[in-house]
Amino acid sequence: MPEVEFVEEYLELEGGRVHVFRAGSGEPVLFLHAAGGAGTWPEFHALLSERFDVIAPDHPGFGKSDEFPELTAIDDLVYHYLDVMDALGLARPHVVGASFGGWIAAELAAHSPHRIGSLTLLSAAGLRVEGHPVPDIFLTPPSRLGELLFHSPPAPPPAGPPDIDAILAAYRDATALARFSWVPYLHDPKLERRLRRITAPTLVAVPYHDRLIPLAHAQRYAERIPGAALAVVADCGHAMYLEKPAVFAGLVATFLGEHGLGENGLGENGAAS
Amino acid sequence: MKFSFFHLMPYPYLPDDFDEAYETSALTYPNKLFDPRLGTELYHRYLDEIEYADELGFDGVAVNEHHQSAYGLMPSPNIMAAALTRRTRRARIMVLGNAIGIRGNPLRVAEEIAMLDHLSQGRIDSGFVRGIGWEYFGHSINPTKSRSRFNEAHDLIIKAWTSQELFAWYGENYEYRYVNIWPRPLQQPHPPVYIPGAGSTETMKFCALHRYTFMSVYSPTRVVRLWFDGYRRAAADLGYVPEPEKIALSIPIWVAGSDEQAHRDAEPALLWLFRRGLKQTMEMVNPPGYVSPGSLRGMLSLDRKPFSALSYEELLADGYAVVGSPGTVIKRLTEMHEQLGGYGQLIGLFAVGPATREQTRRCTELFATEVIPALRDLGTG
Repeated sequence: MPEVEFVEEYLELEGGRVHVFRAGSGEPVLFLHAAGGAGTWPEFHALLSERFDVIAPDHPGFGKSDEFPELTAIDDLVYHYLDVMDALGLARPHVVGASFGGWIAAELAAHSPHRIGSLTLLSAAGLRVEGHPVPDIFLTPPSRLGELLFHSPPAPPPAGPPDIDAILAAYRDATALARFSWVPYLHDPKLERRLRRITAPTLVAVPYHDRLIPLAHAQRYAERIPGAALAVVADCGHAMYLEKPAVFAGLVATFLGEHGLGENGLGENGAAS
Repeated sequence: MKFSFFHLMPYPYLPDDFDEAYETSALTYPNKLFDPRLGTELYHRYLDEIEYADELGFDGVAVNEHHQSAYGLMPSPNIMAAALTRRTRRARIMVLGNAIGIRGNPLRVAEEIAMLDHLSQGRIDSGFVRGIGWEYFGHSINPTKSRSRFNEAHDLIIKAWTSQELFAWYGENYEYRYVNIWPRPLQQPHPPVYIPGAGSTETMKFCALHRYTFMSVYSPTRVVRLWFDGYRRAAADLGYVPEPEKIALSIPIWVAGSDEQAHRDAEPALLWLFRRGLKQTMEMVNPPGYVSPGSLRGMLSLDRKPFSALSYEELLADGYAVVGSPGTVIKRLTEMHEQLGGYGQLIGLFAVGPATREQTRRCTELFATEVIPALRDLGTG
């Protein structure tokens, strides 16, 4: 594992506290986690933090962030992340989002293109593509999640007595996900036609064997976002940054390196810092 | 003591390979397995059975709402109640209840219950439920809004029934600029309200606050005791003691001429109910946000077995169901009255799973003629 130490801190926003992981130096990367990725600092983040200042908040209602019960839909999350960027003094950071977080990143970039230095979508949710449905994650039992999310599922943890706190934490994350994505299911019907507004350099990176969000979704993103590049990684499932962290961290770091934030320095907001 | 006859209207004709081939009898259980001709027969037979209970002197007859399931064939309980209004004479018609958590338009529920109140000449009891987990999948309603939708729909319906002035409604879930229902209900201020509950603390407090009848669903006696105590405690916190009939035990009951006969017939029927009719996955039972963290912690720490893991003997011993000759059933229900700290209403499920027309008829007769008279004064002595 790489050596960069991460810190955990809380942002105080009007509606509550946001838990943030942060490590590294260089240009700022706002990382928006997948539905199952709250409250953790996996290897992918550590690898990226060797070259960048990686800032990974937990979404409202996820991980160690507060509930923010007044936020009930995807547009609320766009305004929430504008608040988070303002609170962090990020004028125009790199934004990287995976799965559910990729959906938020795409919405954010369509809403406020001038606030996004570059955009990376990793198996982003958010679209509905006719003929390529997303399986019902809410109806999938834990015993089948591995095969849905990984190309080569890891061995299941050894059976033990149920850990009530762990069950409650997972239920809380699932509840937050459901709040924003039960219906319309993991998509926003208005997003696709808004994607043309995105101006940031964009990378759409996906695992080839994504059994949750079919490849056609990434292809649609790449078609609709002006100038977007599409990268497809073989032998990997939806949980890409857990299954192939080095490959995806490498792809992302290369793309961000090629699209530096330029004369605005590090993307820091001069007025706020 | 009041006694009611509750019919779930199951579709009992499951295929022989059901146990291996299907993980549930709801939501995704294919509707090609519904035979329309058999379905028609079932509806008419089941309505006959309810009408017979009215003739035999039950105080109430009950229907409920479930969707996309072989467990129960009543997506609209109000249609079933309407069918009963002019074919029954004495019994109260209990809708237990409308699933206002998943209804798109709660004002429609207020209107339909008001109509039913007139059609039944004031015999309607109006239950409200949130709708169960799988129905939030089936009707694409966000389960994280379940409690809020239930509460708001309830408040709107009560106000719509009781207001004699046009009003506007702006809530978190619903907006109506003109609420002014015709007809208003016959019963004043409105039909009695029942809340079937699976034990959440929120439900207890809600029931006690509004002085509604709380009724139990499918649980062992030790758990129902916790719920009834929760209701009594919530009432005590508000400074009153609930009337006995505000606490209703609802439970499958099978009576036959002898204990032997009863067990022979009831065992397959009860196992059908708990292992097939109620066969659901965990994900279908508790979709995210459907229960509060506190309630979920409570449920997990109760460490209950899933229905499918309960043996017939456990179903009887733990108090999920009551089976036997009239004498045995009288004894058992008296014992449960003691164990539960009392109840003033018994809502029996007398047509369980694949029960035949003859079995249900016999069970209903024996209960009406032998059990009810013996238990009528239970709790008043």
